This record gives sequence, C-alpha cells and structure tokens, in this order.
Amino acid sequence: MNQPLLVVDEVSKSFGDVKALHNVSLTIKEGDIIGLVGSNGAGKTTLLRLLSGVYRPTSGLVSLSDGSDIATVRHAVGVVPENTGLYSRLTAWENIRYHARMQGVDDSEAWRRTLYFSKFLGMEDSLQRHTKGFSRGMRQKTALLRALAHAPKVLLLDEPTAGLDVTSARTVRELVKQLGEEGGTVIYSTHQLTEAERVCNRIIIIHNGEVRADGTPQELLEITGAPHLEEAYVTLTGDAARQRHEDDKPLKGLSKWWRSIFTPKLPAEVLEDE
Amino acid sequence: MSKAFHRVKVIAKKELVEFVRDWRTIVAILVIPLLMFPVLFILFPLLLASEAAELDAMTVDVVVQSEGMPEDLGLQFNASNMNITFETLPVLDLLSQPGQDDERLRNGSVDLVVRLEANGSLIDYAMIYMSTSEQSLEARSRAFAVLSEWEQNETINRISEAGLDPNETLDPLRWEGDVGQSDVATQGEQAGMALSLFIPLVLAVWTFSSAIQPSIDMTAGERERGTLEALLALPATRMELLMGKWLAVATITGAGVLLQVAGLLFAIGYLASSNFISVPEVSIAALALLCLAILLFAVMVVAFELALAMRSHSVKEAGSILGPAVLLILFPALFTQVINLDGIETYWFAIPVVNVLLALRELLMNRIVGLHIVTWILSSGIYALGAAWYAARQFKREDIVTSLS
Repeated sequence: MNQPLLVVDEVSKSFGDVKALHNVSLTIKEGDIIGLVGSNGAGKTTLLRLLSGVYRPTSGLVSLSDGSDIATVRHAVGVVPENTGLYSRLTAWENIRYHARMQGVDDSEAWRRTLYFSKFLGMEDSLQRHTKGFSRGMRQKTALLRALAHAPKVLLLDEPTAGLDVTSARTVRELVKQLGEEGGTVIYSTHQLTEAERVCNRIIIIHNGEVRADGTPQELLEITGAPHLEEAYVTLTGDAARQRHEDDKPLKGLSKWWRSIFTPKLPAEVLEDE
Repeated sequence: MSKAFHRVKVIAKKELVEFVRDWRTIVAILVIPLLMFPVLFILFPLLLASEAAELDAMTVDVVVQSEGMPEDLGLQFNASNMNITFETLPVLDLLSQPGQDDERLRNGSVDLVVRLEANGSLIDYAMIYMSTSEQSLEARSRAFAVLSEWEQNETINRISEAGLDPNETLDPLRWEGDVGQSDVATQGEQAGMALSLFIPLVLAVWTFSSAIQPSIDMTAGERERGTLEALLALPATRMELLMGKWLAVATITGAGVLLQVAGLLFAIGYLASSNFISVPEVSIAALALLCLAILLFAVMVVAFELALAMRSHSVKEAGSILGPAVLLILFPALFTQVINLDGIETYWFAIPVVNVLLALRELLMNRIVGLHIVTWILSSGIYALGAAWYAARQFKREDIVTSLS
C-alpha cells in the first residue's frame, strides 16, 4: 500500500467574510495522480496554494506525513501556477536554474533533470531562448521543467492544459501519466472532468469551498449511482456555484463613489430612469 | 554560507540580471545621471555663452525721440552699436506712455523707443520696449549702457564745475586691498559651502527617484505579471525575498548615485581648471560619514518604496503612488537648503529626510559636530528600521499572491 505523503487536516481558509475553503480533510499518498475538479471559484486554486504553503490555513494544518508544516518544507513540492510565472527577460534555462538554486539544488543536478524531462517535452532546443516569445504551450512546458528540477515529492499543477493547443495539452498529460507510472505524486486542477478521467487515478470534486467527493472514477460512479462521470459531477454539485471571491475585494468609500461617476449605467437602467 | 544568505544572493542576482538586460532602464537610471552634471555644468554655460555672442552680434533698431537732448548724448547714441533714428518727441502726459509707438514695437519694425526731454538742469527719460522680445530687451540693455555712460560723465563734469574732486565726492568710503584675500575661508571651504547648497538636494531626490522604477518592477511588476506565486512557493521566507529585492534595488540606486557623483566630480574638475570653482575640502572622516548618511537614507528610501510598491496591485497603481511621493523628499530638501547651519538646534537632525540632508550639508562644509552626528545616525537608523519593518509587513501580506493577470 502506498505511503501517505501530505495530510490536509480539517483545513479552512477565509478571505474576510468569505469562506473559500471549509473544513477540508485529505490524505495524499505516494503515486496519487489527483484530479482536482470544480467550477470557477470552487476553491481549487486556494487549496493548491495551501498545499504549496503560499497561503496559511485560517484553521487546520497542511503537513507532510511526518507532521512537519508544509510552510517549512516547501522543497517537497513543485508548483506550476495557472499563469506559469516565467520571467520574460530570462531564458528558459535561467528560469529553471533560478528556482533550482532557490531550492538549494546545484546547477549540474538541475541541468541533468531538466535535460531528461525536456527531451520528453521536446524543449531541448528552446532552453537557451528568452521566454518572452514563447507560446502558451512552451511557457507551460518550461514551468513544468522548472517545477521538476528539484525532484519534488509532490507536483502541484493549476489548470496545466488551459489554453494549450491539442498537441501541447497531450504532451503535458502524457508527462503527468509518466510521472504517475514512475511513482510520482501529482495534484492536477482542472475544469474538465474528461481530462481528469483520462489522466488521474483519483478525483476530488470541490464545490463552493467543500470537498463533495473523493475517490477513483469508479468509486464516484458508485457513490452517485450515475452512468458516467459528468452525471456524477452534476449530482454532486447541484447547488448554484458561487462567484470567485479570493481576489475580488469590493470597492469601498471614496473609491466606490469615484468609480461610479465614470461608470455608465446599463441601457435598461437608463430607460428605467427616463 | 547560510542557506538564507544564499537565497538572498540568488534573488538579488536574478533581479540584477533582468535589470541589465533592459537597455532602456540602463539609460534612464545609469547613463542619464552620469551625464547630467557634465551637461549642466559644461555644455549649458557653453550654450549660454554662444547665445550671448549671438545677442551681441544682433542688429537692433532704436528710435530716439527727444526735445532738448544734449548734443554729446546724441553723438554717443550715434557711436553705439545700434541703428539709431532720431525723431521729435510726441506730445504725451508722461514719457512712459507707449502711445502711437505700441504698434511698431509689436510688429517688430522698431525694437526700442528712447524718449528724452530737457527739464531745467535735468533730463527726463523713458524707454518703451517689449519684455517678451529678446531683440527689444537687448536694445534696451544697449541704450541703458549709453545713458549710464553719459550720466557718469555728466556727473563728473558737474562735480568738477562745482570745484569738488569727483573721486572723493563719489567714493568717500574705499576698500583697501584685495577683497578675496580678506576672507579667512579657503577656496576649498567656499566650494564646499557652494556645493552643499545643491548636492544634498540632488543626491536625495535622485536616490528616491532612481529607486522607483526597479522597486515597482520587482514588486508590483512581479505581481502583475503573475511571477510572484511561483516565487512565494519556494523555500525562501518573505523576509529573504524582501532582502534580496532590497539588495538589488539598493545596488541599482547606489550605482546610479555613484555615477551621478562621478559626473559631478568630473564637472567640478573641469570648472576648477577654469578657476570657476575649487575642489571642496572634505576630510576623510567627513567623507566616510557622508557615505554612511547616504547609505542609511538609501536603506530607508528603498525599503519604503518597496513597501509602497508591494501594496499596489499593478504597475500603474504603484506608479501613481510613488511618482508623487518624490514630493516627500523634494519639499524637505528645498526647505533644508534655507536652514542656517550656524547655531542650528540639534532637533533638526532628528527629523526624517531633513536630518540626512542637513548632515550632508554639514559634512560637505567639513563640519563634524559630534552631537549632530549621533542624532542623525540614531534617528536615521530608527527610520530605516521602521521602513524595513513596514516593508516586511507588506511582503508578509497574503494577498500579494493575487495578480491582475
């Protein structure tokens, strides 16, 4: 049986009055390829940021299996954020090397790992190029190489195939599958259930900040009694999805008044006034 | 080398590599300060001299309207480097009323009208000119020279005719010897005094303004471009992140200020060779304290700017905050220039910004006052720590991970 790697213990996360995540408990084991599925604003990115130590839980604890707080052992995770976060004035290799050095990995080791994975991703010839002109697919692949350079125990991918062309998306999925086959652990957030079904051996459905289901695709079908995963998803997330709140602070006071002066009304409101 | 120090170094190095790869920023922050003073001190006077020569060569048309004008004055006008036309004085209540001459001054057919009217033993006069025309002002200046010369000669003649000695009558109190010789301040000290009136201002304003762009780029810029999230997921603490970025901005700002001072010294060297100004006499101790004052100021300013920029959600927002914030330096800097350093109260050396500027002024004048030094070092240290603490707070905010992109 695979060993537990990461433990999310009754974690809640609030932004002001808004509860982005509520009482989430998970155990992530070695070899898990987890699809984190949910609509916009469901709490997927918040959960990934808690797992990477970028956010601290409002309550609860995210820890490695030995009990150490994830915030103190960040070298255990590799992160690919939704927007990749590459520096455009650096080359692909410099981007990778920067993170590797921050992780305490020496350049030769980082280069060895980068070469290994770049062959898989078809990126060998682009490592010396500045990332400014990179396509979305190349950026995503570079970010993947960067996240893998320090040999993390867990790879966190936030919407890794969003906006990618078919070939690039396929390459990314194949890499994730290969990592799984080699015993790696990947947590993969996506809107697309079919993608999660194709890549992952475990699916977590998250909705309005709560984990609604957690299991293999077959287990989700059994829990809901649905004929296929899409139906299962609809059954589990029947209530209306909330708006995304995390970085959407409402304007107040002077700012609100000032902006309202220069914001035209909707046509319907104008007609009503008349 | 500890891991934390290694990470701070890696962050600073990466920021500097990114910075040097943008040639526009290099020009704005490094090349311009290097060239600013040489251009200001060497090329600007050359330009002024060339403009003055051009004015001297200018032909000006002057109308002299007179009634009872002394003959020798008329001759002096004719001998001057002006095109003179003599006319009869029109009838006017006052000589200074432009009257009919307004139009020809405006259309440029005449540059100046000089009016002279004998009034007993006196000559009343007025000049009609247009202050917005360089040509008219030049004509006025030349006409004044002619009138002054005539007046001086006439005064001497009249005193002589009255049986008095013109020299004794006009100059009863005389300085004996060389004026410059009687000043106990050396030329180097005088140079220090002159430079202390603007070097602190320039250093302070440039330190602040040159840190704006890199501070924004490394904080709000990262946030806007979405590169911060991946960075925050790395093992570096927020404090290490702040230190790395601070080190990079301070290095860039320091290089900019250093180049500016180098340009200034070059310009002073050039002017010293033409006896315009001497090299200021500043002791090694004063120089060391000067560097310390700038360092403490830079620590405070860079930390403060990084904090404000990190609070902002976008480059635009950060720019709109940090741009006007230059006034926080500029106003105290201008104010400090007029404070009398003789017998100055010690509390002035505890006021933020003002303290460092006053310290720079004193040190450039080679004045080392123990109490003042202790006060500005302590107060600047406290302000620098305060700014660093504020910056650390901003870097520890959880919402810095969210970006507009």
